[in-house]
Amino acid sequence: MKKLDVRLLRLIKNSKGQFISVTVMVILALTVYVSFSMMADNLNDSIFYYYDETNFGDVFVEVVRIPKTAIDRLHRIEGVEAAQGRVSSEVPLRVEDPNEKVRVRIVSIPKETDAINSLHTLEGRELQQTDIRATAVLQQFTDARGIEVGDKITPYIAGREYPLDVVGIVGSPEYIYLMENEQSLLPTPEKFGVIYVTEDFAQSALGYQGSYNEVMIKIDENYLHQIDRIVDDIEDQLDRYGVSRVTKREDQLSHSMMMQEVEQLENMSTAITLLFLIVAAVIINVMLSRLVKNDRMSIGVMKALGYSNLDILGHYTKYSLLIGLTGSIVGMVLSIPLSMLFTDMYMMFMNIPMLQMEIYYIYFVYGILLTSGFCIASGLAGARSVLKIFPADSMRPEAPKAGGRIWLEKIKAIWDKISFSWKMVIRNILRNKRRAAFLVAGIALTYGITMVPVFMSSVWTNIFLLQYGELQTMDYNIDFAHPMSGNAIRELTQVIEVDHIEPKTEIPFELRNGWKKKIVSVIGVPRDTEFYHFKSPTGQPIEVPKNGIILVDRLADSLGVKVGDEILIKNFMPDKEDERIVVKGVIEQYLGTNAYMDIEALNALMGEKGMVTGALVASRDDVIPKLQDVENIRQIQSVEDMKNSFLEFMDMIIYSVGVLMVFGGVLGFAIVYNVTVISISERILEFSSLRVLGFDKKEIYKMISRENGLMTILGIVLGIPVAYGMCVAMVNAMVTTDIFGIPLIIDISSYFIAGVATIIFVALAQLATIRKIYRLNFIDALKNRIS
Amino acid sequence: MDRNIIMKTEKISKIYQMGEVQVAAIKDVDLQLYEGEFVVILGPSGSGKSTLLNVIGGMDLPTEGKVFMQGEDITDYNDKKLTAYRREKIGFVFQFYNLMNNLTAKENVELATEICKEALNIDEVLEAVGLGDRKEHFPAQMSGGEQQRVAIARAVAKNPALLLCDEPTGALDFETGIKTLSLLKKINQDFNKTVVIITHNVPIGEMADRVIKMRSGEIIEETINTNPIDPEGIEW
Repeated sequence: MKKLDVRLLRLIKNSKGQFISVTVMVILALTVYVSFSMMADNLNDSIFYYYDETNFGDVFVEVVRIPKTAIDRLHRIEGVEAAQGRVSSEVPLRVEDPNEKVRVRIVSIPKETDAINSLHTLEGRELQQTDIRATAVLQQFTDARGIEVGDKITPYIAGREYPLDVVGIVGSPEYIYLMENEQSLLPTPEKFGVIYVTEDFAQSALGYQGSYNEVMIKIDENYLHQIDRIVDDIEDQLDRYGVSRVTKREDQLSHSMMMQEVEQLENMSTAITLLFLIVAAVIINVMLSRLVKNDRMSIGVMKALGYSNLDILGHYTKYSLLIGLTGSIVGMVLSIPLSMLFTDMYMMFMNIPMLQMEIYYIYFVYGILLTSGFCIASGLAGARSVLKIFPADSMRPEAPKAGGRIWLEKIKAIWDKISFSWKMVIRNILRNKRRAAFLVAGIALTYGITMVPVFMSSVWTNIFLLQYGELQTMDYNIDFAHPMSGNAIRELTQVIEVDHIEPKTEIPFELRNGWKKKIVSVIGVPRDTEFYHFKSPTGQPIEVPKNGIILVDRLADSLGVKVGDEILIKNFMPDKEDERIVVKGVIEQYLGTNAYMDIEALNALMGEKGMVTGALVASRDDVIPKLQDVENIRQIQSVEDMKNSFLEFMDMIIYSVGVLMVFGGVLGFAIVYNVTVISISERILEFSSLRVLGFDKKEIYKMISRENGLMTILGIVLGIPVAYGMCVAMVNAMVTTDIFGIPLIIDISSYFIAGVATIIFVALAQLATIRKIYRLNFIDALKNRIS
Repeated sequence: MDRNIIMKTEKISKIYQMGEVQVAAIKDVDLQLYEGEFVVILGPSGSGKSTLLNVIGGMDLPTEGKVFMQGEDITDYNDKKLTAYRREKIGFVFQFYNLMNNLTAKENVELATEICKEALNIDEVLEAVGLGDRKEHFPAQMSGGEQQRVAIARAVAKNPALLLCDEPTGALDFETGIKTLSLLKKINQDFNKTVVIITHNVPIGEMADRVIKMRSGEIIEETINTNPIDPEGIEW
């Protein structure tokens, strides 16, 4: 081995704490990069493999009623490969506790042999069309409710109970992510499930003899690029069957949630990797520039011996390259099992029964190039002052730095009150501005990284509090099975005691602005609504207008409209013309992307005076059991129930918060540890002189601790805007679809918690350097004037 | 004595800008060094002798004048050529040894030789400087005299045309200093190397073939010593 390399290895051995702390960051960066990227790819592959295996549809149409012949005619549209009908309806499920309202979506399985959205049987057997009174149940629901093959479940359909034998437990590509609708806060698999039945049973029980209310369409893959044209053709052809909703695969709820998940993984992978690499690069840079400074004389000797600038620059850059390579190799070794473990956990959590697990070696290549690139660049930048060292000059000891007065000394009133040791502390900080700035920046960054998970853990609470505490204050949201007259509201008040009740009409429409379009629920509410408190994104209250429409901000953004613009509202009702309507307001709302109108204006649009599709209720009464058997009620959402399901969701969040906290801790530790070690090694002579003057080791250590303490406080103060910015970035990275939004509310307690965590990380790093001070041979240092 | 000129300077000056004042470290110095010669440059501190040594050794460039090494003008050299010059032609010995403290004695020597084309056998050189049994030691485990011997071995093993020693005894006690000088003399004789020592220590001049005295950046006297004494006989 070359002697310069031997020297390098011994150099690393002597500073192994620093080497390890930076390498750990590179390891983390690479592990996160490789495992998250592979996880995203594997997740994506598994999803699409599952789609292929189960023949997942490309377009889904909800209609009022359609005969089979009409579905068969869809084949005439160029590009339609297959079209199948099914019956689907949501009904209550009988459960033991009368207070619990459980709903299931009954879905018929097509008779065709090559069924679209076919089921993947996980337990039991496949449901046959010849089965009588049997069902296959979606796995998430059976898991949540403890339903097993052989059990009986009893849906309540049109006033009758139908006990059904559970013959199989299944997975469906349509419900990888099981949520009832876009308005649902979170998946609640114990409250909402999907059960599959035979076509004959569904048609007879739900009253659809010989017809369907949903059409699933598969498009020839060579025509997928024409999907918009095909969808338009389908809409035209099905218009007279009362199209209530057309959903392309990309807008399908489960699919878009899954794609969002994949995208989030990719974003996380990039963001965390870059963050760690940048911090590692900065530390390497500082470390090497200090090393070169301390090695000035050795560099002079190397030059005198005939080593070229390039040799010496390479010698120091190898230090950083070694960090990059060690980090890459260890990171690679770790990332294979980690990504398998994560993917496995993910698949279980996400209910994808078909795991496509591949190791994408290309990410190793990218990862090594990326980390090595960062390390080499920072190493070169850090060691570049090698070039400026002249051999003749380097043999002479460097002239001491001028130690002029610091600005604080000029403010006599303050300076005179500071004790001598604090004066030294303050002088040291102000005289090494670069080092201090790096430490402060590092602490600010640590604070920011610690803040993100703390913020994330409060996000759902805040969404919940905002949505149901401020913006919408009803206790129950009741949906009728079909549109009713205004009398239904009066009748409700006779069954339950209400403090306040309001009618609502909720109808899906397609809103268009030029080529931008979106199918959303438009909710009609009374103009004097007491439950909805609409606010503009800037916080101004917004009234329900007599005419016109108000849009949720994300909807307005995706349509590209603002207040005062006109949009086209496309009516799904047969024989109704499309109309233009003015946007009267844009409102802030975190859950659900929809639009609001005056209920009367909405009814006028539909040509149905006095129609209601549901009610909003404030009540202290036990509403759910009382309405249990009331016909014509499709569902009752209780804000209380949503709160409970949210609390269950919290457990999972706390886990990921913990992981991010560890990342923040590693970062903070690495920064503080390195800066302190560098600072100690640069100041051996100074400390030695202090020892000669009678300071003991403890006092010197105390001085460094005080310096770091002061800078920690400063770092945390400066970290507040950094943390805020990182939370903004996090929100942007997470919200990749317009299904939900995240409010940027950072609680005071979050600032506090992040602060305490940062102080703990700094204190740990500080403790780790104590050995360095206690082991320094001060007398030797003074005698040899070497460091 | 064979009077082959190995190195020659022509009116070299080195001027430093100190704030608004220009200070000449050396002024119009003309110097010749002959093959196999043992030269001592004497002068008080600040006389310019270290600067002269640095310029001869290619560690620094003169502000004016020319330096010829074996007939080639090194003042025209770019950084790359100058590096190669230091690598192949020059061996340096410093007052404070300047060893790499995380390399052993042998490794310190190897550090210098592995980039040279015509390096000598390291073990032989270490044996010659009397460190045959100490070569696996680190500098911190050695005395000052031993460290200086490693430094000399490092310079010699490169097999340079010119061995330049800057106050080689400056940091050593008298006896160790004498031993170091004997070693340098031995190298001068056994390996037929041109050795230049700069020092402020006048008695050392007695062992030289030629003594050059400097003051205020100029050569003020040059004496040829027809009868150089053995280093063991020197006293200070």
